[in-house]
Amino acid sequence: MASRVQDRPSPVAAGPGLERRPRQNFETWSWFFMRVSGLILIFLALIHFSLTHLVHDVAKTDTSFVSHRWNNPLWRVYDWTLLALGLMHGVNGLRLITDDYVRAPAKRAVTKAVLYAGTFTLFAYGTLTIITYGRY
Amino acid sequence: MSTTAGTPTKAPGVYPKSTVYRGRSGQWAFVMHRITGFLVFFFLLLHIVDVSLLNVHHGTTYNEVHRLYGNILLRLFEVGLLFGLVFHSLNGLRIVMIDFFPGAVRNQRNLFSVVIGLTVLFTVIGGVIIVKPFFSGS
Repeated sequence: MASRVQDRPSPVAAGPGLERRPRQNFETWSWFFMRVSGLILIFLALIHFSLTHLVHDVAKTDTSFVSHRWNNPLWRVYDWTLLALGLMHGVNGLRLITDDYVRAPAKRAVTKAVLYAGTFTLFAYGTLTIITYGRY
Repeated sequence: MSTTAGTPTKAPGVYPKSTVYRGRSGQWAFVMHRITGFLVFFFLLLHIVDVSLLNVHHGTTYNEVHRLYGNILLRLFEVGLLFGLVFHSLNGLRIVMIDFFPGAVRNQRNLFSVVIGLTVLFTVIGGVIIVKPFFSGS
C-alpha cells in the first residue's frame, strides 16, 4: 500500500501531511464557491446562450420574445439565478486578478472599490429589470 | 543575442531565452482562463444594461438596440462570446477534475488537448449557426 501512495506525485492527493487540515479561512470558501458556482453556471450559461443564439436567431429575440418567456416566473428565477451567480463568480475572479496585478495598496483598494460598487449597482439594476418588467 | 549599449556584461550562468514562465500547456490554460473570464464578465455587465432597456419607452429602445445584434460584426462578436464561454466552461471542468481527482493531474496535458479540441468543435458548429442567418437573409 505504501507504494500506492508513492505512485501519486500529486500535491493535492491525500498524503501524510493532510491529516491535520489547515484552518478554513475566507480563501478556502472562495475556492470552494468558485468550483460549485462554476459547475452550476456551465449549465445555466450554456443553456441560456443556446436558447438565445442557436435555437432562436438572435435577431428574433425582441420584446415579444422576452415578454412571452418572462410570462413564466420560472424563467425569471432562472435568469435571476444566472445574473446573481454569474456576477458573484465574476467579481470573485476579478478580485483574485486584482490581487495578482495591482500591487500598490492604495491602487488595489481603489480598484476593488470600483469593482464592488460597479458590480453591486449592475446587480441591483438587473434585479430591478427582471422583477419590474411588464408590471410597472 | 544582441546586447544594447549600456547593458552591463552578464555574469556567467544559465539564462532563460525569455522571461515568460514556461509552464507549457498548463500556463496557457491559466492565461486563457483569465482572459476569457474577464471578457465574459464584461459582456455580462453590457448585457445587464442592454436588457434594462426593456423598461425604457415600452421596449422600443430595446428593439432598436437589439436589432444591432443581427449585424454581421456583432454576430462575429457573439461567436467570440461562445468561444469564451465554452473554453472557460471546459477548462473550469478540467480545473475541478485536477483539484479533486489525482488521475486528472497525471493526464492534465491530454485533458488540455481535449478542452482545446472540444472548444474549437463547439465554436465552429455554433459559429456557423450564428452567422448563417445573416447570409441567408432572415
